[in-house]
Amino acid sequence: MASTLPTLAIPGQRLAPVSSYAAGPGTHVQNANIYASIAGPVLVNPASSKTAKSTLSVSRSPLRKAAPAASPSAPKSTAPGPSKPRYNTLPAVDSIVLARVTRVQKRQATVSILVVLDESASNNKSGPQPTTTTTTPTGGSSDNDNIEAILSSAANPENHSNSDELRFQALIRKEDVRAVEKDRVVMDEMFRVGDIVRGTVISLGDQSFYYLTTARNDLGVVMARSEAGNMMFPVSWKEMRDPVTGAAELRKVARPF
Amino acid sequence: MTDRRRINGPPSGTRPAVFASSLKSASGAATERPRRHRQPNELRKIFLKTGLIPSASGSAYLEYEPSASLAAARSSPQSLIPPSSALKLACTVHGPKPLPRSATFSPNLVLTTHVKYAPFAARQRKGHIRDASERDLGVHLETALRGVIVAERWPKSGLDITITILEAEDDRWWGDAPDSHDAPWGMMNVLAGCITAASAAIADARIDCLDLVAGGVAAIVSDDAAAEEGNSSTPKLMLDTDPAEHKSILSACVVAYMPARDEITEIWLKGDHSKASLGVDDSSLGHEALIDGAVNAARGAHTVLVEAVRESAERYAGLSNSDS
Repeated sequence: MASTLPTLAIPGQRLAPVSSYAAGPGTHVQNANIYASIAGPVLVNPASSKTAKSTLSVSRSPLRKAAPAASPSAPKSTAPGPSKPRYNTLPAVDSIVLARVTRVQKRQATVSILVVLDESASNNKSGPQPTTTTTTPTGGSSDNDNIEAILSSAANPENHSNSDELRFQALIRKEDVRAVEKDRVVMDEMFRVGDIVRGTVISLGDQSFYYLTTARNDLGVVMARSEAGNMMFPVSWKEMRDPVTGAAELRKVARPF
Repeated sequence: MTDRRRINGPPSGTRPAVFASSLKSASGAATERPRRHRQPNELRKIFLKTGLIPSASGSAYLEYEPSASLAAARSSPQSLIPPSSALKLACTVHGPKPLPRSATFSPNLVLTTHVKYAPFAARQRKGHIRDASERDLGVHLETALRGVIVAERWPKSGLDITITILEAEDDRWWGDAPDSHDAPWGMMNVLAGCITAASAAIADARIDCLDLVAGGVAAIVSDDAAAEEGNSSTPKLMLDTDPAEHKSILSACVVAYMPARDEITEIWLKGDHSKASLGVDDSSLGHEALIDGAVNAARGAHTVLVEAVRESAERYAGLSNSDS
C-alpha cells in the first residue's frame, strides 16, 4: 500500500484510504479517503505504537533533503534534525513563538510575532534548538537560515516600523510574565521595545491580539540591546549586561541552552 | 475638482470612432469577422505559470492562445485594429496575514477578492477605480473560491486575492454595432480565467483547498455557415467560445468545477435560448447541456492547472535541494 503513495501531491489528489493511514496536516478526509489539501511532498510518520496507524501528511515547507517519502522507512532515517518539516505559519495554542516587543505599558507589553517555532522541536529539549541565546545575533547556531535572517533584521532598529502591520500581534499581560511574585512585576524591568522574546501562546485572544506567556524558565527575552545600543548577554534570570559599557539592565531573561 | 474656466479634454483617453461599413483594409477588401477554426469541443490552449511574483505568497499568470485570425493579424497586419483579443491576466495571493484592527473576530480565513482591468485591457478604456462589472467579477470569484478553501484551518487571518487583467476578451466583434441581445459575454470568459488562475495561485501559496477548482465556459451560438446560407440557423453548443468569432451568442454558462469531487462551486448562466428554433435534438440544448459543456471545458482547464501546480510543488521541493 505504501508503494501507491505519490511522492508529490497536489490538492484534491486521493492519497490513501482512511483504513490504512491517519490523516495528518495538509490533508483532509472525504468519503473515507485521505485527500491532499496542499501541494507538496507526501510524508509518512510511522506510528508510535503497533496499534496506531501511520500518519499521512503533506509537507508545507520544502524538505532539506528530498526524502523519497514513498516508503515508511525512509522518513524515519531522515527524521531528526534539519530535514524535519518546520513551521505552520499560524500561531496556535501551545506553540512557541519568537516575537519582538513593540510597546511596553504598565499592565501589558505588545509584541509582534516574527516566527512560530516547530512544536516538535520545542518539545524535545535534546534536539538542536533553533535559537541559542548567545550574545550576538549572528553567533546563534540556528538550524535554519530563515530564523537568523528574520531575527537579525528584527534586531536592527531600522526595520522596526515597516512590516508590523503584516505580522500577528500579541499581548504579554503583566500576570503572564513570570510564575512567581506575579504582583511585583514591573513591566519596564521585564521588557524593552525592540527585545526579542521567546514565549508560548496561551490563547488566540480577541480579534486583534494573541496572548503569550513567558512564565517558564526557558521563556523570556532572548536578544536585547542596551541603552548604548550594544547586544547584551544574560547574566542571571533577571539581568543582562552590556559587554562594552558593563552596564546591567533588568529583563525577564530566558534560560540559555 | 473640475476646472470650469477652460474646456478640458475627457479625463480618460479616447479613440476615434471607426465605422465598420466604411472600413477597408489595405487590399481593398472589407475586414472580416474572425472565424472559429476550432472544433466545437476544442478549447484554446492555456498558458499557466505560478510563482512569477516573488513578493506575493502565491501568484499565477494565465494566458489564452490567440485565435487563428489574431495570430495571422499579428504577423501580417491588415488593419490597425486587431481582429480579436486573447485573455491575459495575473493573479496574486497575499496572506494569510492578520486581519486589520477594525475587523471583528473570525475563526475562519477571511477571503477578499479584487478583480481589476488594466486601463488598456479592453477596447473601451477602464478607469482606475473598480467599476460595477469589476466588482461583480470579484463577487463571482469569491463565491467560486469560498467553496474550495478549507477556511477553518486559518483562524484570525485574511487572504487577499488580486487579479489584474492585462488583456480582456471582447464582448463581441468590434465591427458589430451593439444590438439588443448584446451582453458582456467576454466577462464570462474572463471569470473562467480568473477562477483557474486564482486556483493555481492559492495552491502556490499553500492554502488548504479541497481540490483545484477550474473555470470553464460553454455557449450556445447560432451563427454558422448554415445561417449564412439562408437556412434557419441551428443553435450549437460550443466550448470556450471567443465572442468575437460569433455573430450571435444565445446563452452562455461559466462554472467553477472541482473534478475530484464532481462539485460545482459557482455557476453563472446568462442569456435566453428559448427563441432559438430547437429541432429534434432540443434536449441536447437545455440548460443541462450548457452546464455539462461548461463542466467539460473546466475539466480541460483542470489538466493545465494540475501541471502548473505540480510544477510549482516541484520547484518548491527542488529549491530546497539546491540551497542545502
